[in-house]
Amino acid sequence: MKGSRGKPLVIGAAVVLALALAPAGLSPFLVQFLINLFMLAALAESWNIIGGFTGYASFGNVAFFGIGAYTTGVLLTAAEWPFALALPAGGLLAMAFAGLIGMPILRLKGHYFAIATLGVAETMREIVYNLKITGGGTGLTMPITRSALPFFYLMLGILIAATLVNWWISASRFGYGLIAIREDEDAAAAMGINAALYKTAAFALSGLFAGLTGGVFAYWITFIDPEGVFRVIVTIQMIIMAVFGGMGTVVGPLLGALVLATVSEVLSTQLVSLAELFNGFIVILVVLFMPKGLAEVIRKREFSLRKLARNLREYRV
Amino acid sequence: MLFLQVLINGLLLGGLYGLMALGMSLIWGVMNIVNIAHGALIMLGAYATFWMFTLWGWDPFVSLPATIALLFVYGYCLQRFLLNLVVRAQLFLTLLITFGVEVVMVNLVRIFWSSDLRQVTPGYAGANFSVGGVTVPYVRLWVFMTTVVLSILFLLLLEKTRLGRAIRATSEELRAARLTGIPVAHIYAVTFGLGAALAGAAGGMWGMLFPITPIMGGGLTLKSFVVAVLGGLGTMMGAIVGGLVLGLAESFTSTYIGPTYPNAISFGLLVLILIVKPTGLVGRRG
Amino acid sequence: MALIEARGVTKRFGGLAAVAEVSFDLQDGEILGLIGPNGSGKTTLVNVITGALPYTGGDVRFRGDSLRGLPSYAIGRLGVSRTFQIVKPFRNLTVVENVMVGALFGAVGGARALADARHRAEEVLDFVALAHRADAQADDLNVPERKRMELARALAMRPTVLFLDEVMAGLNPSEIDAAVTLIKKIRDRGTTLVVIEHVMRAIRDLSDRILVLFHGEKLTEGPPQEVLNNPDVVSAYLGRRFVEQSRA
Repeated sequence: MKGSRGKPLVIGAAVVLALALAPAGLSPFLVQFLINLFMLAALAESWNIIGGFTGYASFGNVAFFGIGAYTTGVLLTAAEWPFALALPAGGLLAMAFAGLIGMPILRLKGHYFAIATLGVAETMREIVYNLKITGGGTGLTMPITRSALPFFYLMLGILIAATLVNWWISASRFGYGLIAIREDEDAAAAMGINAALYKTAAFALSGLFAGLTGGVFAYWITFIDPEGVFRVIVTIQMIIMAVFGGMGTVVGPLLGALVLATVSEVLSTQLVSLAELFNGFIVILVVLFMPKGLAEVIRKREFSLRKLARNLREYRV
Repeated sequence: MLFLQVLINGLLLGGLYGLMALGMSLIWGVMNIVNIAHGALIMLGAYATFWMFTLWGWDPFVSLPATIALLFVYGYCLQRFLLNLVVRAQLFLTLLITFGVEVVMVNLVRIFWSSDLRQVTPGYAGANFSVGGVTVPYVRLWVFMTTVVLSILFLLLLEKTRLGRAIRATSEELRAARLTGIPVAHIYAVTFGLGAALAGAAGGMWGMLFPITPIMGGGLTLKSFVVAVLGGLGTMMGAIVGGLVLGLAESFTSTYIGPTYPNAISFGLLVLILIVKPTGLVGRRG
Repeated sequence: MALIEARGVTKRFGGLAAVAEVSFDLQDGEILGLIGPNGSGKTTLVNVITGALPYTGGDVRFRGDSLRGLPSYAIGRLGVSRTFQIVKPFRNLTVVENVMVGALFGAVGGARALADARHRAEEVLDFVALAHRADAQADDLNVPERKRMELARALAMRPTVLFLDEVMAGLNPSEIDAAVTLIKKIRDRGTTLVVIEHVMRAIRDLSDRILVLFHGEKLTEGPPQEVLNNPDVVSAYLGRRFVEQSRA
């Protein structure tokens, strides 16, 4: 959390530039793949704020994704708003919802918090399913767009924004507060940190980026329905990408998304179930062998079987 | 009268919910593992019953002991060779790993047995009887009676047997249990096996009432969690009471508000209880 | 007006009164020793005063303003800090980062910019003689080092009043002497202290006055010589041997 801030910035800018120019030289298939990758990476970065930095592992962030998707979707179709307004509205509503639901829910700890967030996501799906305005079970269809390019840049933009926020958090007073809360909430409070406020703010930020991602997703994918949007596997993906890459770091979620999404894509040319199966195995393996994530492995420059075995011994019965 | 019918329906279903939750409550109480794959275990039990019925013609009540045994072995192995490895990690990681297990299980079932809806329909499936204006399907009644019997057997096992005592000792004071020579790794595995067996039994019976699909477990995990929390964590009686409460709540909402709302109600109930009285209706535990 | 005025502070857990009607004044610049057998309510009293536990009864005023009902972070910001009996390090941070948290969020007027906070943290680490471990992972410290880091964190908040909860537990005699010297230096720099301890020679050495708790109630308070020789205190807590030793 210290040291020169210049170098990563330069590298980051170079990468962004390369990505920005990419569509010119890539096949449409790869462009779609990248859009999906950006989306997952943005979700992982958004989860990282509440799960990685603050230590409140939410299992329901897909709720915010879905709220963003549906708000944007409804505004686009029923209210006929331009996308330029519908998208921010989706993000803001998701953020507001996260802030509101965060206030009671963040008072819970451990398992209770995790399952409560899961419950929130499930409830949102049920509610959306039951409402007329969201199209209920039949879903919503967006106006067709001609090119995928705008979505490419939008997702990339949201990813950059989410990453920058993570980067800011990692070296700011706010970030120190979140980390202190994660490490020991009682001590943090005794030292002057308004934990309730900070937690809720982190949750809201998390919701904002998940919501924005959802909004773009809705327009990009053109058709949304409750079952397709509020999928638990989405939350699992963002969690495992963050964990695999290194939760609580800035670059970890990006790494995790890059590696996992790529492998998943390679596998899913077979079956949809295969991709999910792969995700499941990865989750198990990561928890067993690399709970601290890639970033830690790279940082410590150790990747031996002995180190892997050490993890096992630490956590077993 | 409608009210009585709704009440009876709720109770009958609630008994099954209670049985489901017993397994989850046990594992949670003893090892502090919230098993996200719980619903998948129920699902496995349902499929086991289905295949034994379809392939060999075994009546679902008759094949129940087999289902229980199968799921016990599966659960034992799962704990002994996988979950025991991470029992002492942060809560979040154990939660995550059971998530992984759930995803693997569900997708393996999807691949090998397809997502087609299955159901177990023995000859007596549609039969029912009426008492005082209330119609009770035989299957539901027998399911309820089975859940009562299994619950009692389980509670007896926990209270009166040496194994049960070992389990309770391990849950209360791990180090002391170790010191008295209790093989913790084995006891944990047995506990999980028991939890899985209960889940499997519940699944076997669920399959007679509702369609069986690979993804049926997700909502059931949450429901079991709701019931376990409702009743009060770690108390077995609590799981049963909680199950009945949820069954009633769903029955009444479904009838008087709308058939698509029960799920939302159970999750809403959960969030409410967690905020208002996290220690549950019946007991309290750390 | 005393810096802190506690009146009738009471804390019940169910039927049990962990703290019962405790009243005392804390004068600006003094070191108040707080002693009593285990379970007498010392830590609970500190928890209530600093907002970690809700009151059952009574009130505590800091510079005339009531602290009752304020959340612990607000009380910390007002200038009333505490250390924890069982230290609570931020494990995944370095020592200096740990202390920076105190500097960033402490008493109003604290550092808001990271650079200033780091500067202040380094100063404090120097003061408690932990500067050589500034970049070590908090997890890697030994027991006396952890205690000093815990102390440093609280000091970085620039508190007006500091409650020290058994900072000397687990220290050997020479470490205890170092701790006593350090605590005196803290008072000399302008912080008023309440020191909970079981190490009697340290308490006798440090305290301007001593307050004795027994079963949640205030048994007595006064200058060390008086209190430590008080027969009630002796029978409740000290035992005859200590009195004989201190007379020798």
